[in-house]
Amino acid sequence: MASIVKDTQSIREAVTYINAVDSSKFSRLLSRILQKLHLKGERSFSEDEEQKLQTALALEKQALHLVLETTSFLLEQAVYHNVKLPSLKQQLENIHVSPDKAEAFCQAWASAGPDMVEKIRQRIFAPKKLEHIGWQFNLQMARSSQAKLKAPHAVLDLGVQDEDKLECQQNIFVEFSHQELLEFYNKLEMIQAQLDSLT
Amino acid sequence: MADSVGFLGGRIPTEVEIMSKHLKDLDKELFRKILKVVVNAIEGKDCGGAMADIAQNSPLSEEMLSHIVSGMYELLKEALRLPTSSLKQEVFKEDLRGLRISEEFIADFASVVFGNRRSTLDNVVKQQGPRIPSLEEFRWRVDVAISTSSLARALQPSILMQLKLSDGNVHRFEVPVSKFQEIRYNVALILKEMNDLEKRSILKIQD
Repeated sequence: MASIVKDTQSIREAVTYINAVDSSKFSRLLSRILQKLHLKGERSFSEDEEQKLQTALALEKQALHLVLETTSFLLEQAVYHNVKLPSLKQQLENIHVSPDKAEAFCQAWASAGPDMVEKIRQRIFAPKKLEHIGWQFNLQMARSSQAKLKAPHAVLDLGVQDEDKLECQQNIFVEFSHQELLEFYNKLEMIQAQLDSLT
Repeated sequence: MADSVGFLGGRIPTEVEIMSKHLKDLDKELFRKILKVVVNAIEGKDCGGAMADIAQNSPLSEEMLSHIVSGMYELLKEALRLPTSSLKQEVFKEDLRGLRISEEFIADFASVVFGNRRSTLDNVVKQQGPRIPSLEEFRWRVDVAISTSSLARALQPSILMQLKLSDGNVHRFEVPVSKFQEIRYNVALILKEMNDLEKRSILKIQD
């Protein structure tokens, strides 16, 4: 496998800092970064936490940023290539990460890596995405223009969320008669057949 | 039968009562013309022109004509509210005889309510009721993401749905596979509930 990370000046500098950090502290750092990797636009640590980290890891602000960014980058690359454990170890050795830190990377990757890859795989790009499904089943008994009806009706409530405004959900209500719902279902079955043919 | 309540209810609507008086001396041809316009109006067609035509070329005063039209409209609307399984033709005719409407006119009214136009009228009436928008057009697409900025080999299927509703709105959104399973399961569940309910006796009671 081609190397997932190049041995650059910046990487070399970061690796020197990483190798000097206390191993158990670094493990915790890794798992936190890995947990938050799939969240877009969210930093692994808040401003406050970063200040505390500076003291705990005895690093200058700039050095800390380099460590955090490089660690994130290494994990992102691991996700991007969906690397296997032995390969990850080899890659880390190639950029001179010390054995104990490489072991920490591998442990974190073994426990949370596959989950993270799956989470990122599920993260589809779409301005709008179906988030919620609700329904109601009614028996229509009468209306202003007709008496003594017994018409089954279903109302589907489709909650669609905007990618950039997660807090505002748009609800689409659609009413179906029995026949209309059956036709809709038949189309869903066509989609299902397409999905089945993919695997 | 005299004691039972007719299809028009316990108290005959004023419009119908006044109309029945005006019908006595009405020419048969003219009656049919007016009835035709009223039926068209119930079907939601524009009848302004036809009505003005009748008003100009008939011996009826404007007041009489409007009494007849509103009476016919009310009578038909009340009769069409009831399913034919519930309002029998004989009962309908008997009720009109009670208003002293002539047999000829009764036959014409009955042909509107029980004739072959009934299903069209029912459909029109159904469309006019209040309702939540229905699905007019459903289009879909299945995509497989090959790679993304964060994954060299994603191979993740997803579904793009486009719903066009009867209120004219078009909604387009992505449905992850897991959500698609949810929607498919729920629609199947509702269909089952509908089938179960239709099998139950509640729907078989004739009233």
